[in-house]
Amino acid sequence: MTATVDQQNAQPAEVDKSWWQRNWGAVLRHAVINFFNIVILLPLAWVLMMSVKTLPDSLRGDFWPRSFDFTHYSYVFERIHTLPVNLFNSIYVTAATVLITTICAVLAGYALVHIKPRGAGLVVTALLVSLYFPVRVVSIISIYETQSALGLINNTSGLILPYITLQLAISCLIMRSMFQLVPHEIVESARIDGAGHWRTLWEVGLPMVRNGLVVIFIVNFVAAWGEYLLCVTLVDDEAKRTMPVVLAAAQGGQGQWSWPNLAAVYVIVVMPGIIAFTFAQKLFFKGLMEGALKG
Amino acid sequence: MVDTAASDVVSLAPARADGQMAQLRQGIGHWLFLLPALIFFIGYQVWPIFRVLWISFTNFEYLSDKPAQWVGLKNYIQALNDPLLWASLGRAALFTLMFLPGTIILPLLLAILVDRVSNQRLATLYRVILLIPAVIPSTLIFVLWKWMYNYQAGPINHFLVDTTGLFDLQNAPQWLGGTPLTLPSIAVMEIWWGLGYHTIFFIAGLAAISKDLPDAARIDGASEWQVFWHIIRPQLAPIMMILVVLRFGTAMAVIDEYLIFGGFNRASPTYTWTVMMYDQAFKLGLWRQGYAAAIGMIGAVAMMAVMVLLLRIFRPKG
Repeated sequence: MTATVDQQNAQPAEVDKSWWQRNWGAVLRHAVINFFNIVILLPLAWVLMMSVKTLPDSLRGDFWPRSFDFTHYSYVFERIHTLPVNLFNSIYVTAATVLITTICAVLAGYALVHIKPRGAGLVVTALLVSLYFPVRVVSIISIYETQSALGLINNTSGLILPYITLQLAISCLIMRSMFQLVPHEIVESARIDGAGHWRTLWEVGLPMVRNGLVVIFIVNFVAAWGEYLLCVTLVDDEAKRTMPVVLAAAQGGQGQWSWPNLAAVYVIVVMPGIIAFTFAQKLFFKGLMEGALKG
Repeated sequence: MVDTAASDVVSLAPARADGQMAQLRQGIGHWLFLLPALIFFIGYQVWPIFRVLWISFTNFEYLSDKPAQWVGLKNYIQALNDPLLWASLGRAALFTLMFLPGTIILPLLLAILVDRVSNQRLATLYRVILLIPAVIPSTLIFVLWKWMYNYQAGPINHFLVDTTGLFDLQNAPQWLGGTPLTLPSIAVMEIWWGLGYHTIFFIAGLAAISKDLPDAARIDGASEWQVFWHIIRPQLAPIMMILVVLRFGTAMAVIDEYLIFGGFNRASPTYTWTVMMYDQAFKLGLWRQGYAAAIGMIGAVAMMAVMVLLLRIFRPKG
């Protein structure tokens, strides 16, 4: 009622307006944003709750468990024998991939901006084109052949080689745009002082591209930690596979994969990334804004 | 095949003068930093593409003892005469149509809203929440949503059956598993997954736009819609173009989701050109990789053609 009255004698002196009239835009804005926040968080919260439900509770549709049961976390490690192995496989493959890709990308990014060998432009073009071409899908036929020739079929370590290239092109381009922020003069003066490219990169360049490093760390972690297609194609033995393939194949609700067990495993696999990201988010956003998104 | 690039470098080696040798050594030194990345990039991205291109002109069967023979365009002709290939390309295009608008428009809307949040702490919190799906690895997203959509145990059907009573256990929707709902369900999942990441993408674009022009326009009496359409939209166009083209590419080449949700049922809407290629290459008969390679190449070239077209359409004017 008051609102309509206010509108009729709309002499817009801020004081005359009700709180609602001054702020309805902001309220609506936050309401819409939070609606999407809930849509994003709800599925994850549901799995988290599922992992602490008792078995009978897990079959009901309630969001909140009637009684809590935290034993699923220990159960899955004690009773599902391949699980610790799969988890170790994932950690090992992901760590190696992130490390090697980061080294490759930092060296390449520096070289493309501050060494600029002849043909560097061609490399950048090739990297860009590979982002648009469905390389991952089409190349699988040939990668199987390569891995087979190298004797790396059904070999967990062998996965690292193709995993490195999953996000290699984008990582190189991100590092390239990061190093473009490092002025040539700084690199030049370090060089004149007698530092080789190696020392210039290590002592002058790296500290200035720290935020970009966080971005490619996360990008490569996400790619390797969740890779499915290559692992399911190149590795047959359950014990040699990584977590994503095992989880994707798990028939939820049956045997050892009762819903709460599955949820517990899921939480164990998904949480490290989210927690790491939450802590690194400041650097991550800085890196994104500084030019990673231009890559 | 790719050896040609390497042999060019080698042929430079017997250089006559010492000066040339020094130059060469310097050149190699310059390339040293690029070498690690290039070895992997060429070995696992460039070479496979050319190798698959070559395989597509042969009758290569991986499990067969017979050596592969050059068959020219036979695989391509056979594939183009296969109605399943056309159906599978159509399915991929259909999915792209369902996915692309939502994954551009929703994040754009959200970015404009989040960009206006003046409270710094709240803005950070929003961005962190929005980006959480982006740091969940792909397969874990699919496992999560396979569960969400589960016919009996999924919370969506729990909600529809137990909470609202709109459906009963006999006629509750079958979201996945090759039903007509499968592609829209996957599209919703993908939009959910990319929502935050694309929003951050647009926020970065918005941050680059000066606030003076929109403010001045508002003082002159422009409506919010006019400000958006005439000032913000043109400046976001380059970012939007990149997103449209990149997401078109990912949507057309989806494979993991289809394998996990749909398997190899040829009648399923998830049996797209990518799945068909994989089926031929690793599942059927003696692994007819020559034929599979041709399917892969046709799919890749078809989608690249559309991407080039899109780039031309969306190229900023002037």
